[in-house]
Amino acid sequence: MLKYIIKRLGYAVLTLFIVVTLTFFLMRSIPGDPLASMARGLPEQTRANFYAKYGLDQPLFTQYTMYMQNFVRGDLGESVVFPGRSVTDTIKRTAPVSGLIGGISLILGFAIGISLGIIAALNKNRWPDYIVMFIAILGVTIPIFVLASLAQYLFSVRLGWFPSSGWGDLRHLFLPVAVSFFGPIASFARYLKSSMLETLSQDYILTAKAKGLSKRAVILKHTLRNSMIPIVTILAARIVAVFTGSFIVERMFGVPGIGFYYISSINNNDYSMILGTTVFYAALFIVAQLFVDFIYMMVDPRIRVGS
Amino acid sequence: MKFKKYLALFTILALTVVMFAGCNDSATPDPSNGDNGTDEGQMDAEQYINTYLVSDPTTLDPSLRSDTYSSTILVNTLESLVRMEERDGDYYQNRGDAETWEYNEDGTVWTFYLGDNKWEDGEPVTAHDYVYSLRRSSNPATGSPNSYFLTPIVNFEEVNNGTLPVEELGVRAIDEKTLEITLTNPVPAFLSMIDSTVYYPQRQDKVEEWGERYGSEAQYTISNGPFKVDSWTPNSSIILSKNENYWDAESVSLERVVYNIMTDETTYYNAFESGQIDFVGTGRTEWLERFQQRDDVNFNSYTSATITYSFYNSRDDLFQNENIRKAFTLAIDREDINEVAFSGLRVPTYGWVVPTISVGNTTFRDAAGDTILEMKAELEAEGLTSKDLLLQGMEELGLGDDPESLNVTFSLAGTDDWFRTLGEYLQQVYREELGVNIEIDFSEWGIFYSNVTSGNYQIGFMGWGAYYNDPYDVLSLFVSDQDMIETGWGNDEYDALIREAAKEMDDEARLELYIQAENILLRDEMVVSPLATSRVNQFVKDYVHNYSTLGFSNMGLKYVYTSGR
Repeated sequence: MLKYIIKRLGYAVLTLFIVVTLTFFLMRSIPGDPLASMARGLPEQTRANFYAKYGLDQPLFTQYTMYMQNFVRGDLGESVVFPGRSVTDTIKRTAPVSGLIGGISLILGFAIGISLGIIAALNKNRWPDYIVMFIAILGVTIPIFVLASLAQYLFSVRLGWFPSSGWGDLRHLFLPVAVSFFGPIASFARYLKSSMLETLSQDYILTAKAKGLSKRAVILKHTLRNSMIPIVTILAARIVAVFTGSFIVERMFGVPGIGFYYISSINNNDYSMILGTTVFYAALFIVAQLFVDFIYMMVDPRIRVGS
Repeated sequence: MKFKKYLALFTILALTVVMFAGCNDSATPDPSNGDNGTDEGQMDAEQYINTYLVSDPTTLDPSLRSDTYSSTILVNTLESLVRMEERDGDYYQNRGDAETWEYNEDGTVWTFYLGDNKWEDGEPVTAHDYVYSLRRSSNPATGSPNSYFLTPIVNFEEVNNGTLPVEELGVRAIDEKTLEITLTNPVPAFLSMIDSTVYYPQRQDKVEEWGERYGSEAQYTISNGPFKVDSWTPNSSIILSKNENYWDAESVSLERVVYNIMTDETTYYNAFESGQIDFVGTGRTEWLERFQQRDDVNFNSYTSATITYSFYNSRDDLFQNENIRKAFTLAIDREDINEVAFSGLRVPTYGWVVPTISVGNTTFRDAAGDTILEMKAELEAEGLTSKDLLLQGMEELGLGDDPESLNVTFSLAGTDDWFRTLGEYLQQVYREELGVNIEIDFSEWGIFYSNVTSGNYQIGFMGWGAYYNDPYDVLSLFVSDQDMIETGWGNDEYDALIREAAKEMDDEARLELYIQAENILLRDEMVVSPLATSRVNQFVKDYVHNYSTLGFSNMGLKYVYTSGR
């Protein structure tokens, strides 16, 4: 087991290294630079001074080795577009904000989605099933910006219950959360329903019923647990998404999260910020994957590491 | 709902009455400032404004900023030597830190006598703060993207490329309160120029203490203007409050200003509708119509200083010929393209110097005329069309007489629907008017711009915003050693005219030189094809008063107050 964990960690470091290297060179192959995104023709000397300040006048490979040296020391550098803002601080400041909204929506989405999934599976082809699946279809098909605009119009312009955007107090949480948990509800409900239906047709469920177990025990102990494997898989992806945030939700509701930087840094050619957020995302993903593999082992004894 | 609103309104009114019963009239604003929203009744007890910025400012460091959002904030938090304001609908050159100023006979040595303004921490604003700021911006190690605005100052170029130490820059503090700036040549528009952020003062002790953090967070800023920065949550909001140490604090009514960072269009429209913000701007017809129906807002529409234009690569085999460039310029109907591309919301433009720019008291376009319109009329009077110009140009280049044989690519810096429509429109116009089948190259900004700078294009399409109110700002872009529009064009006579105009202190003579220069640029050479000038369409809640609607004024929110919120 220990050997397995060490091996997995080794792979994780290697993956991270490859991600950073690829991102560095891919990003630099995009035409334009941080100055070009300022949309102005600038005199030659002004450009030269700016490039020199950020080391952009050095050969690309030198810049790469410089970045890697700092990276190993845990220094992600300073934003090129927002002078004075360190990338590490920006991630530290914005990821928890995204995490708060993402976390609440995931927990609510998970709880409600699973409950709806169970209801739908147990009432197959009856009205509760239809209602749940209708909600699920809406949840996956309505684009989030439509949902966000609708929510904003209804709850802040028409009803005046919540501020249309902003950040600072509890009331600001409502709309972004309401919009973000709709998606998880839909996917959890759909996956759980189909997975449960499959489990319910298994022989061991028949056995359990034949043993005279209560309906409650059959569902909770035997059906639900065995239906969770696909849910664990999508949960992993969702956990990563919790911290990376949603660009659209953050942009529309003025939430100062990390999702915004993840996209805008690419548009601005903010090199250090692109690398920083990508590394953060990649590291999170790798950790989540590790985590999922361990959960699998707990949920399903059949999934074991070969010796 | 309704009832609650009335209740709230009533409470505010009652409070207002109570507040004013116990205080004298010193808080009533000076009605001579600004003309927008005339003084109707008493000021509200609580003076605050909620507004928005479309993007987070990159930094509040005057040396390192380059975006418009940071300047929106800095105009409110820093005081420059002078402040361009609006009074009775016209520009008014007010003082700033400098109580008075003078210049020597040939206009090269400017002396500013500072008043007793203080920084928010109570320290006096001194001439050293200005000297330090200008030296810091021109220091190559600072990497300032705006430093070239300091070009007129003696030794700037040598300092900026590192051949001279910063101490050699032509700026010095004669004493604590006297600042002297020496220019290489006289600059008639120098007062407009120093009203830009790169000329704002900076506190050496603070900048050195904070280092790279300077301007990146609220706690790393220091203000000497009407307001100070209370808090800044990146990508969320910037909150300003009144700076009691400001020299003219008694003219400042607002206690608090909240700038929400609202990147999404729908978000700020909804925020305006739900009363969360007091100002909103829009360039969309549907929202214009919708907001115009409201009876609790004032609508202001004014021409800005941003021009949209297409430009030719004069090094291209085809567009090296001025008749071809003229044909492509005159073929476009500016009224028509304004309707198609900008929903009729911009101003069709017939000269390179935008309609808002003036020389002294004369609006440039009034004096120079609508050049492109006139050229078209002259052409028609001769019974010719733009196609005849094209054929003439083709003959001069030995390209035969079949416009369909020409390969022309029009480069657009965008790939979305709007650019697709524009592209189709241009294709159609050039086919009908000139018989040329053009190709459209859609690319993202970065790709477009690197193609343009490397001369790898034929016709491009862009926008440019003027910084200050003098034709020099936009005409100098074509001087051959600058070539900021990247046309590759150069003309000795043009360069000489701009150089001469730049130091001509007499308004009328300067205007004449600029007109001659623009005539070379358009009438003779047609290097660029001006199309339309943007307009600002702004809605303001009717309880907001005393804001400026003049494009080049730097009043910010200094005099704004609310009454009847």
